Amino acid sequence: MSEQQLLRDKHIDYIASLDTKKDDLEYWLSEHLRLNGVYWGLTALYLLDSIETFNKEDVIQFVLSCWDHKTGGFAAFPRHDGHLLTTLSGLQILATYNALERLGSEKQEQLEKFILSNQKADGSFQGDSFGEVDTRFVYTALSCLSILHKLTKEVVEPAVSYILRCYNFDGGFGLNPEAESHAAQAFTCIAALAIVGKLDSLTPAQQENIAVWLSERQVPEGGLNGRPSKLPDVCYSWWVLSTLSILQKADWIDFPKLTEFILHCQDPKNGGISDRPDNEVDVFHTVFGLGGLSIMKYPGLRDIDPVYCMPYTVTKYFQRKYSD
Amino acid sequence: MHGVTRREWTKELLRKKREKERQEILDYRELSDEVLELKNKRVANKDSLLKTTQLLNINPEFNTIWNYRREIIKLLAPSLDQTFWDGELAFTMDKLKVRPKVYWIWNHRVWCLEHYPNSPLKIWLKELAIVGKLLEMDARNFHGWHYRRYIVSTVERLSGNCLNSQEFEYTTAKINQNISNFSAWFQRTNIIEHMLARDQIADKESFIDDEFQYIKNAMFTDAEDQSVWTYLIWFIKESALKEHMTSEKYSSMLKELTEIIELINDDDISFSGKDNIWCLKTLLVIEFIQKDILKEDIKSKSREYLDKLIIIDPLRKNRYLYQIRAL
Ligand SMILES: [Zn+2]
Repeated sequence: MSEQQLLRDKHIDYIASLDTKKDDLEYWLSEHLRLNGVYWGLTALYLLDSIETFNKEDVIQFVLSCWDHKTGGFAAFPRHDGHLLTTLSGLQILATYNALERLGSEKQEQLEKFILSNQKADGSFQGDSFGEVDTRFVYTALSCLSILHKLTKEVVEPAVSYILRCYNFDGGFGLNPEAESHAAQAFTCIAALAIVGKLDSLTPAQQENIAVWLSERQVPEGGLNGRPSKLPDVCYSWWVLSTLSILQKADWIDFPKLTEFILHCQDPKNGGISDRPDNEVDVFHTVFGLGGLSIMKYPGLRDIDPVYCMPYTVTKYFQRKYSD
Repeated sequence: MHGVTRREWTKELLRKKREKERQEILDYRELSDEVLELKNKRVANKDSLLKTTQLLNINPEFNTIWNYRREIIKLLAPSLDQTFWDGELAFTMDKLKVRPKVYWIWNHRVWCLEHYPNSPLKIWLKELAIVGKLLEMDARNFHGWHYRRYIVSTVERLSGNCLNSQEFEYTTAKINQNISNFSAWFQRTNIIEHMLARDQIADKESFIDDEFQYIKNAMFTDAEDQSVWTYLIWFIKESALKEHMTSEKYSSMLKELTEIIELINDDDISFSGKDNIWCLKTLLVIEFIQKDILKEDIKSKSREYLDKLIIIDPLRKNRYLYQIRAL
C-alpha cells in the first residue's frame, strides 16, 4: 500500500468551494458545463459520504431553472440550449435527490420527446438538433430513458445494433463505426448495453477481447490511458475500470498501482484531483478519480453503480427491462 | 481540464489575478447577457452576428452561442456571399488552433462546409488538404482522423471517385513517418476491408504478400511498439484477407511468423535479459489460431508464455491467470 492517503476532508472543502469562485474568470467561462459540474460535484460528495455539503433545495431549484422549454431538454445553465449530455446530468441530480417528481408529468413527457427526437434512422443518437452523432449520446439517451422509465423496444433495438457497429477488431469501441477505439467509448457502449440487458449481444470471445483491450490501458506509472501510446489520465480510471467491472473483470487492472497513481494526482493543499500528477485539479477528474477508487473498494468511500455512475440505492429504481 | 500545470496561488498572486480579471468578468458577463437576450428575441442581423463573434473569441467553448450563430447565418444566408463563407471557415480554423479538442467547433466547421453555397467539390478537396496539415501537426488527433474519414466520404460522393487507393497510400506515408502512429494503422484496416468489399484488389495474393512483408519490416524496425503488433493480430486473425489465402498458405505464414517472433524475442532476451511482452502475447494468438481455427496438432507453449507474462507484465497478472485457467 502506498504511503499516500485519500484527503477526504480536503476534497469535500474543494467541492464546496466551487461555487464561491465568482471572482475568477474561469467560473464564468465554464457556465456551459455548470449542470454537468453540479452532477460531478454531487456524485463526488456522495462517494465521500458528504452529500449534505450541497444545499439540496438550492441544487434542485438550479436544475429546474436549467430546463429549456424550447427543446424540452436540460441546458447547462439558464438560457442556454438543451442538449442530451446536460439532460442526463439534470436527471441524474434529480434522481440522486429522489426528486424526479418535481418535474411534473408534462416536463417528463417533453424530456422523453426531446430524447426520442434525437434518435436517427440507424439507431444512433445526435446530441441535439444540430446533428453531431457519437456513441456518447446513445449511452446518454438510454440512461435518461431508463431513469424516466421510457425504454421501449422501438428505441432500444436499433440503438443496440448501432453500438455493435462501433465495435472494433482490437476490442475497443469508436465514437462512430470505423472510428478508432477509445476508452470512453468502451464505457458508453458497454454501459448502454448493460442498461438494456443486452450485453449478451456480444459473444463471450468479444467480451473477453474488450476486457483484454481495457486491461492494456494500464501503463507502468499505474494510471490508465484512453488509447494505445497515450499518457495516463485519472478520468480513465473511471471509464476503464467501470467497464471492466460491468464485464466482471475489474481485477485485470493492478489495483495498488492505480490507487497510487490516483492519490498522486490529489492537490495536497486545497483538495481535488487532477488528470495527472501536479496538474490543476477540476471536479470532473475529482469525481472520476474517486469513482475509480470506490470500484477498487478504497476504505471510506461509498459504493457506486458502474453502469450509471450513481448510487445503487438510486439506480435500483431505474427501468432495466423493456417490453417486447 | 487536461494538461494544465498546477500553480501555487499565494494571497498576493490571487489578489493580482482577481484585480486583473474583475473588469474582464464584468465585460464578459455583459456581453454574454446581451447575446443571450438577442438570441431569446431571435434577432438575426449583421450586428447580432458580430456579437456572437466577439463572444466566441473570448469563449470558443460556448456551444449555445455556436447554435445561435448558425440560426443567424441560416436566416441571413440569401444575402451572404462566398466571401462570408470563406471568412466563416477561417474563423472556425482560428478557434480550432486554440482549442483543437472542442467538439462544438469541429461541428460548426462541418456545418459551414455543408451550407457553403452549392457546397462545391473544390472546397472539400481544399478541406482534405487542410486536414492533412492538421494531422502533420498532431498525427494522432482523434478528431482529425474522424474528420478526415468524413471529408473523404464527401469527396467520394461529390466526385464519384473512390479514394481508397489514395487513402491507403496516405496511411503508408503516415506510418513511414512514425511507425507508432496507431491511428494510421487502424485506418489502414478500415481501408483494406473496404477495398476487399468492393473487390478493388486485383491480385490478392501479391497484395497479401506485400502487406505481410510490410508488417515484418515494421516488426524489425520497432519491436517495442504495440501498434505494429495490434495490426499484425488484425492481419492474421480478424481481417477478411485470410479468406483469400489457402489454408496451406495461411498455415505456413503462421509458422514463418512464429519463427520471426521467436527470433525477435531471443534478441530482446540477449539485449535486456527479458522476454518481449508483445512477442509472447502475439505467439499466444498464433497458437490459438493454429489450434482452434486450423485444428493443427501443435505442441502448445501457451502455458509457458503465460507463466512468463505473469512475471514480466505483472500489471495484467490476473488476466494471464484467467487465460491459464481457460487453456
Ligand atoms: Zn481526463
